[in-house]
Amino acid sequence: MTTTADSLDALRAYGRERGYDLSWLERPATWGTQLRPGKTGLVLDEVERGPHGFAPEESTNLTGRIRGAIARPGVPRVGAYPVRTKADIWLRNAAELYEEAQARQWSSATDIPWEKIGPLPDDIEAAECQFATFLTEVEFVAGDVPGKWIASVTPDYFEPRMFLISQVMDEARHLDVFRKRALVNGGGLMQRTAAVAAVTGGAIDSARDFTEMSARLHMSGEGAVLTLFRIGELMAYNEAEKQIYRLAASDESRHVAFGVMHLQYLAQAAPERREEIQAYLDEAERNLVTGASGQNPASSGFAASEALAVLLGGGVDKFDEGMKLLLAARQRQVKEYVQRVKVAGFGERFENGRASPLLKKYLEIE
Amino acid sequence: MTTDRHRSPAAETQQRPPLAWMRRSLQWGTRARPGKGGLTLAALNIGLYGEIPDEWHDLTRMPRGAYPVPGVPAIGGYTQRAKAQLWADNAAELYEEAISRRWIPAVDVPWEDATPLPEDLEIALAQVCTELSQQASIEVEVISRWLQELSYGYHEVKLFLATEVYDAGRHFELFRKRALVNGGGLHLESPGQVNRVLLESRAGWSETCALLHILRGTFTFTLYRYLAAYAPTPADVVLFTRALQDKARHLAYAMQHLRYAVTHRPDFGEQMQRFLTGAELAVAADARDPVLWEALAIVFGRGVRGIDDGMTVVQALRQAYVRGYVARLRWIGVERGERLYPGFAAALAPASA
Repeated sequence: MTTTADSLDALRAYGRERGYDLSWLERPATWGTQLRPGKTGLVLDEVERGPHGFAPEESTNLTGRIRGAIARPGVPRVGAYPVRTKADIWLRNAAELYEEAQARQWSSATDIPWEKIGPLPDDIEAAECQFATFLTEVEFVAGDVPGKWIASVTPDYFEPRMFLISQVMDEARHLDVFRKRALVNGGGLMQRTAAVAAVTGGAIDSARDFTEMSARLHMSGEGAVLTLFRIGELMAYNEAEKQIYRLAASDESRHVAFGVMHLQYLAQAAPERREEIQAYLDEAERNLVTGASGQNPASSGFAASEALAVLLGGGVDKFDEGMKLLLAARQRQVKEYVQRVKVAGFGERFENGRASPLLKKYLEIE
Repeated sequence: MTTDRHRSPAAETQQRPPLAWMRRSLQWGTRARPGKGGLTLAALNIGLYGEIPDEWHDLTRMPRGAYPVPGVPAIGGYTQRAKAQLWADNAAELYEEAISRRWIPAVDVPWEDATPLPEDLEIALAQVCTELSQQASIEVEVISRWLQELSYGYHEVKLFLATEVYDAGRHFELFRKRALVNGGGLHLESPGQVNRVLLESRAGWSETCALLHILRGTFTFTLYRYLAAYAPTPADVVLFTRALQDKARHLAYAMQHLRYAVTHRPDFGEQMQRFLTGAELAVAADARDPVLWEALAIVFGRGVRGIDDGMTVVQALRQAYVRGYVARLRWIGVERGERLYPGFAAALAPASA
């Protein structure tokens, strides 16, 4: 490590002779360390080794200073930061998920082969546009809501904050790409969604606890949409639509992973909250299967679910076949939801009768 | 207007549920075309989809141009419902530009070229980067808090601001990494008066936008510009230049929006004059703290022994900030020169006061 010929003491004295303060010019605890990029560059996991990398169980940082910075007296408490307990927000791989999000950013303008979309039968085009309208409406829920929480989390837990920032960006792109799909091939935007959860409770927006919000958003809402993106090949009619679903699924799987890993951390760090979390999952299951929440386009009673049946079946005249495939999609949604809950450490609800009976009903033909 | 359209007889006779939604497009036949930059957000604004209303009364998330359904209850929030409260004609283009110019601190900065510096210079740069990282962190908090207040009818602005949050997150990360890469460490936090002003600004997005971008943003922009010019290593040239490009985009949105607001809200220009005085007072308070200026002077002077020369550059930077601030406000339509808070000009640019 390069050092000056003069000691810091001598340099401070030199400065003071000229009227400068320089009391801040102190050798840090990190002096002597040197970080160099690895195979994936200079990533946060490499950087956060040292005293600045320590995220406390409780944060007393109310001045907005970045973690590891030196506090000074007289600084106003700029942030209310209601989320100051590590268990309320933390997960083990947030930095990794954030770096992955950066590496996998894409452009809806140039990474989708829009020219591959050719004329489609009216019923198929209308169904594509109805599904796209649903998605362009709901995707930025996941932008507005994480935004609110980013500002509520102490900067001491910046890794999950950074992930949520990347989610805001991802959701902006999703709003954008589905709007583009609706407007590129003749259909236009179709009927908007009619959800009522903002009034009756259970809306993603309304959650007053981060984990409650994450259960609604990441575990239930985004989980349900992820399953549909994953079967995008079955309802895409050209390479552009396939690419949209592939790229959106890649983003969405990160968001869902965040929710699963956060619940897993909370289950271990705050076992006294397990029953409370089970209650959130009760609600998440209701939101998964009923249309009232406006979260799951495959749930019955939605224009979007009928559109999915048209797309999966191959046209209005094959609606019944499409409904059968939609039921298969719902089965997959439930199966993947169950798996996520098990990985998060709350799988006992499927053994002890706690899981919602609505999950079974969801898989029946209306 | 709902457009009727051709449907195959088979579809008409065999459809099972009513499928009423199939006819509910307000503008059937819309075909946005990709251009040189691909299929851009701005290219979607065709016909009614390009009609930007002066007021957006819907309190839900209905996309602009979607077929409305009666009886959908309000979600709450979305307090910024007038075009003059958030709009900028360049928002859609800036959104696409932000995406096309995306970059990654982990791999797009040649960190191996961040050669270790003499201890005083490394610590001073780390102190500057601690301040810049905190400024970016505050910027994230300020904008992300507002996103839920901005109506869906103006999605171009919401999307652009999502990119700004993302950019600011990247800057937080970038300067943190720079402070730590050679062991320089994280140093003193910001004095905090301007941060408090930004976070407590709740009157409206335009007001916060003016403070965040024109008052603080111009300062941050000026810091990046000087640090790029006086960067001590090749890696620093890259990282400050990249950050500067991002910040220029943020300022471009804010200037366009505030000019629109001043033009379309009769009293807003005078309101700006009044609240800027209070905010300039906070800048003057922060400016009395010597830490950032001394750290910058050491960076510009290449060490404590060059601090006098460095302070000359700092003085030029401070004057450039005040000039840039006044010039941006003039372009927006707010003639600030004579009405600058005297302590602001005196603290930052005594030579020009």
